[in-house]
Amino acid sequence: MRHFLMTLVSAGMALPAMAQDFSEGSEAKPWNLYAEQPARFEARVVDILCELTGDCPADCGGGVRQLGLLRGVDDVLVYPNKNAQAAFTGAVVELLPFCGRQVEVDGLLIEDPDLGAVNIYLVQKVRAVGDAEWTAANRWTKEWAKTNPEADGKGPWFRRDPRVNAEIAAHGYTGIGVEEEKPFLKELFE
Amino acid sequence: MRMRLLMAAILLPLPGAVQAAEGERVQIRGEIIDTWCYYSGVMGGPDAVTGTAHHTCALWCSAGGIPVGLLGEDGQVYMVLRIEGDDGSAGGDMQLRLASHEITADGLLYHRDGLNYLVVEKVVTDHGITKLNHEDYGPVPPFAIPEPKE
Repeated sequence: MRHFLMTLVSAGMALPAMAQDFSEGSEAKPWNLYAEQPARFEARVVDILCELTGDCPADCGGGVRQLGLLRGVDDVLVYPNKNAQAAFTGAVVELLPFCGRQVEVDGLLIEDPDLGAVNIYLVQKVRAVGDAEWTAANRWTKEWAKTNPEADGKGPWFRRDPRVNAEIAAHGYTGIGVEEEKPFLKELFE
Repeated sequence: MRMRLLMAAILLPLPGAVQAAEGERVQIRGEIIDTWCYYSGVMGGPDAVTGTAHHTCALWCSAGGIPVGLLGEDGQVYMVLRIEGDDGSAGGDMQLRLASHEITADGLLYHRDGLNYLVVEKVVTDHGITKLNHEDYGPVPPFAIPEPKE
């Protein structure tokens, strides 16, 4: 029996660990956020919708679905909300090449119980377990440029994004309507 | 004793296995928000990163693939994974169109490791953008609205 239990534990079936400090070995750059903690850990890249509901396309959704990090040490599902770019960009593009694989990530955990922020993550770099080289989690804007060649030009992507600009053209910067927000804009820039 | 240990071991989750569960049927009214700005505080307090003040940034974040959430009337955030058959939770068209909108959503709720996840099966009502706070906060962030060119 003892041998059987030891086998289970060594196979990763240990009971969930208590809250832990994942900062050891982290080289994450601070963003000076209120509730950030550097965190480096190993995890499996998963399709969150699949993980929760059992609706599981082969390719983790091919980039349209949000991806999670199923942390190896405690089986906690960490939610990467953000990549490493200060450009309003998420983490899926960075993690999709590692769909279903064991990875090591380094970045910032956000834990702010007052706001319900638990296991929220900003990924700064990622590598497959066993690989020496890290990949910086900053590919989003290059991938956007490839898929939006018609939006080529100066300025950040979010000023040129066709879908965003269509929404603003239709409903204004505030969403209340182009005509309706005109007095506010006039006052704003007077 | 041996049998108890064996049963306990069997009930432990298998590593790597999908732990799909039945969702709880719920109906939640709230605002579609971008979760990173809300959770991180990078743009200020929670009141400033919702509503009309934050609408342009909500569009940017949604188009940028940052997860959207439904900020319920109960103050809880529900991470949205699907809306009416559209599983484009990373920059999809449906969630972009609903940025800052108050909706009543009927769907399935899941809880996992401290977060709420919502599969919206039907947007029962789209109430439109109802939180009018741009006069209070101005645009958040301030550069969200570019100064008109002369």
